[in-house]
Amino acid sequence: MAAKVGIVLVSHSAPLAEGTAELAGQVGGEAVTIAAAGGTDDGRLGTSIGKVQRALILAETGAGVVILPDLGSSVLTVRTLLAEPEDLPGQVAVADAPFVEGAVAAAVTAAAGGDLKAVLDAAQEARHARKL
Amino acid sequence: MPESCEETVTLTGDLHARPAGALSVAAAKFAAAVRLAVQPAAEGASGAEGVREADAKSVLAVMQLGASSGQRVTVRAVGPDARDAVAAVIGVLADATKVGD
Repeated sequence: MAAKVGIVLVSHSAPLAEGTAELAGQVGGEAVTIAAAGGTDDGRLGTSIGKVQRALILAETGAGVVILPDLGSSVLTVRTLLAEPEDLPGQVAVADAPFVEGAVAAAVTAAAGGDLKAVLDAAQEARHARKL
Repeated sequence: MPESCEETVTLTGDLHARPAGALSVAAAKFAAAVRLAVQPAAEGASGAEGVREADAKSVLAVMQLGASSGQRVTVRAVGPDARDAVAAVIGVLADATKVGD
């Protein structure tokens, strides 16, 4: 079977990243690698470049990775990493999307075999999705 | 003329997040455009005004339909693999809504 696009969830909170990864994995099925990178290296609220790097390596299975940052400095942390593209494990795209909805939509599209652009678009289309 | 195909089922369970995900994963594997139309719950509701539609490949749109047990859902596909797409989505609707959420 062809490699699936991976997903990395970057949050200030480790439980938030892990819980969102669990939910998106349940909705999308088990075929997609969704790696959580939440909190600082010493377990506080914040972000860690090292955690995001490790999550990227986990999520890259040959088809690229879509990163979803939650708020503010998560975006800065991701941007810092992307500034050194030679250190990335493969193709990486950052989604400008709501965290939970974007993760769920990305997981479903990745599970169906969508390419990096399709998964990125699915996450970003979540900006327009209504829930009521 | 692209092939088009349509089939209707009555849900035996609610279309919660997980079955919605399984449905969209199945639909997105086909080239055909696939839409769901949910009939209003009340029998005899007038005309098309109560019918809600969504792109079956968008899991968020499918969840937003809030389709529940007993409602009739029409799956409509247009494209080269429309027949297979409808069969796959109907299969998911028949299976996935049995297991609850």
